[in-house]
Amino acid sequence: MSGRLNVVMVGVGGQGLMTAAKVLADAAIDSGTKALVAETHGLSQRGGAVEVHVRLGDVYAPLVPRGRADVLLAFELIEAARGVPYLRQGGVLITSDVLLRPPIPGVVSPSRKDIEEAFRKAGIRYFVVPAREIAEKVGSYVSENMVLLGALASTGLLDRFVDISRLKARIAEMPMADKNLMAFDEGYGTCSKLCRLSD
Amino acid sequence: MGPSLILRKKVNPRWGFSRGKRLLYRLLGAPGTVQLLMGNEAVARGFLEAGGGFASGYPGTPSTEVIESLAEVAKEVGIYVEWSVNEKVALEAAYGASLAGVRSMATMKHVGLNVASDALMSIAYTGVKGGLVIFSAGDPSMWSSQNEQDNRIYGLISYTPVLTPSDPQEAKDLTAKAFDVSEAFSSPVLVISTTRVSHTRAPVTLGQLRPPRTKGRFERTRGLTLVPAVAREQREKLIAKWQDITKYVDGLSPFNRVEGEGRKAVVADGVAYVFVKEALSELGLDGKVKVVKLSSPVPLPRRFTLNALSDVDEVLVVEELEPVVERQLKELVAEEGLKVKVVGKELVGLPGELTLERVEGAIAKFMGMAMPEPPITKLDLQLPPRPPTFCPGCPHRATFYALRRAVNGLRIKPVYSGDIGCYSLGLYEPFREQDIILEMGGSVGAANGLAQTLTDQVAIAIVGDSTFFHAAVPGLINAVYNRSPMLVLVLDNRVTAMTGEQPDPGTGLNALGEPAKVISIEEISKGVGVEKVVTFDPFNLKEATDKLMEALSYVVKERKPAVAVARKACALEAVRRARRRRVKMPLYQVIEDKCTACGICYNAFSCPAIMVRDDKKAWIDPSLCVGCGVCAEICPYKAIVKVVEEGEGWWEAWE
Repeated sequence: MSGRLNVVMVGVGGQGLMTAAKVLADAAIDSGTKALVAETHGLSQRGGAVEVHVRLGDVYAPLVPRGRADVLLAFELIEAARGVPYLRQGGVLITSDVLLRPPIPGVVSPSRKDIEEAFRKAGIRYFVVPAREIAEKVGSYVSENMVLLGALASTGLLDRFVDISRLKARIAEMPMADKNLMAFDEGYGTCSKLCRLSD
Repeated sequence: MGPSLILRKKVNPRWGFSRGKRLLYRLLGAPGTVQLLMGNEAVARGFLEAGGGFASGYPGTPSTEVIESLAEVAKEVGIYVEWSVNEKVALEAAYGASLAGVRSMATMKHVGLNVASDALMSIAYTGVKGGLVIFSAGDPSMWSSQNEQDNRIYGLISYTPVLTPSDPQEAKDLTAKAFDVSEAFSSPVLVISTTRVSHTRAPVTLGQLRPPRTKGRFERTRGLTLVPAVAREQREKLIAKWQDITKYVDGLSPFNRVEGEGRKAVVADGVAYVFVKEALSELGLDGKVKVVKLSSPVPLPRRFTLNALSDVDEVLVVEELEPVVERQLKELVAEEGLKVKVVGKELVGLPGELTLERVEGAIAKFMGMAMPEPPITKLDLQLPPRPPTFCPGCPHRATFYALRRAVNGLRIKPVYSGDIGCYSLGLYEPFREQDIILEMGGSVGAANGLAQTLTDQVAIAIVGDSTFFHAAVPGLINAVYNRSPMLVLVLDNRVTAMTGEQPDPGTGLNALGEPAKVISIEEISKGVGVEKVVTFDPFNLKEATDKLMEALSYVVKERKPAVAVARKACALEAVRRARRRRVKMPLYQVIEDKCTACGICYNAFSCPAIMVRDDKKAWIDPSLCVGCGVCAEICPYKAIVKVVEEGEGWWEAWE
């Protein structure tokens, strides 16, 4: 496999970023692609901002440098905005529409509209996925991570690195496999029209 | 949906396994198979491939998962695994097992080795019998630590060989190798990783598992009793041994190796190698620069390095943190009178972990090239910070709230002597109840000096249960012995919470999850002579405030130490336990009409489950609320009420 895919996942502690990253990396290895996953741990578990770097292909270093992520997969809108400097020129931002206000006394938080407006102004290619709505429809609000993974898969960016059927086989090994697979498929389906990129 | 049906037919036997079982599958996989392993899991696998029989450690980011992984498989493979009370005891215990001929490993984070260093210095003198490996994980950039010390230096001051893996595969292979080295030279071996090895997941090709040796026999040997006459002999032997080890690491192939050719060379140790490898490729320098990959930074392999640099004019040393290799290399070059220019930290820099940008920048400068700088997109938007906070239902939040009420009620001026744990977060708004944070157990030690010297202020040491057992007890004895007027507030949430809820001596479980004796903080305190010991439930704010006022009044009036124990389980653990036991969780909600938008619940108590609506009234997110009910106690307008009753056994889950 020549070439690399740099994915940076951002969100809030407890949103299931690590699980999504592990499933993706396992599926990559099953597909014969090298995968590296680097996480921030410890204090970030306590509701803080979390970053997970997933690198696929011809890779050695575990961290994605700023300005070089092919995909920014965001589980929360404020963290999506915070993660933007990771995106390379022409990179893609896929973000959940969930907005979690940091629980700090008197904090001023931008609105959903403000954030989307800033994405537009900066000329970023971005897709907002109704992740919570889809997860609730599937009957499991903890499956937002699989919705987003489905959305990522639907872009076609993974195709050179990960066999989607192997990705689904790995999801089928998770607890609550049915709901997680449904969440993945729904995320894929909803976004395939929205997010499919021309190759 | 079609493909899922096909997949369902060949559902893997792993389907439906618990998290532990899935780890078991990865960790005990067949030789030759490839598994996605975290660096720390790979260290655990390396221990198993070396036939290790005894593993001990104290939790600490980023080292914790080694013992966690070994504990998961301990019964399956028949090895002994423990969480020790602290790192010093972990290393001493591993040493004891080594003397019985068992291959042993002690694990800890970088600062843990400070606690264990007294033992290390002596073990280097006595030598070992069964292979003894000390695994220490460093935290450059201090993602979860109070400093970013470079533990390779411990190898230099103790004459202990150091091995530094560059990725999870090498973490496994070098851990296994370290046991052979340890036995060959009767020396402890330090395996040192940093965050980006320990917490990176990568494909690892598994090797053969060796049946563990878990029992042995102690043979009396001269050299184990370090009285001065023996210590002098051992010191001579240690220096001679160091020469042998230095020669041995010359042949540590493929862990030490040379790649590529060139008049310019880059020497890279540990995780620096993977950054160098990718940086060279990004800069289009593949094969044009000689790369000297080192996995044994201490001692520097002299002959190997001299050979590698024989046709080189300039060398760049890339290493994380201190110039450990760089200094040894400069010394070697001077001793041998070589005409090689050595540069390192002036291009790489000292603080923080390595990144690709940083290594690319250093190599570009070294090669006299321009550094390619990709454009960075920035948004025109002010973003609020998102620091870590106490979880919803965290008992620490309630304790800090009660402590402030008690302090205000008595009108005393407190000095909060803080410590290492989740409760360090009490530093932030709205609590600001950590004035100093030093190291494990430092709260109680420092409070002694504060208590003896403050005039109108009162020293309050704040320490968690695991930290209390770890290193705070001697400080408490000191306070009784020297009559230091201070309050020691122990936040007993029944586990070592910050690192992921590992059991500690107060939990009632050992590392394998088997029942263990609960060691009582109150009995220890009374046993060492504390005359005022109170215990309270932090979720009962009135009781908590009263008990804290009682203990603080005693300290002020009697000028003696007092201990207060706040006891309630870690919310993450309590909720997990309730779910496992299928106990229904209660739920609280805000009555809109009664809420006056005063903001006490979201500003002064600051639970992440309580949201602010646009009209400034409170709203509780049902997906985040864990039903602790403390917000209902603090609401002056009784606007927060229980809307779902808890099931039977709910409060037992919080014990």
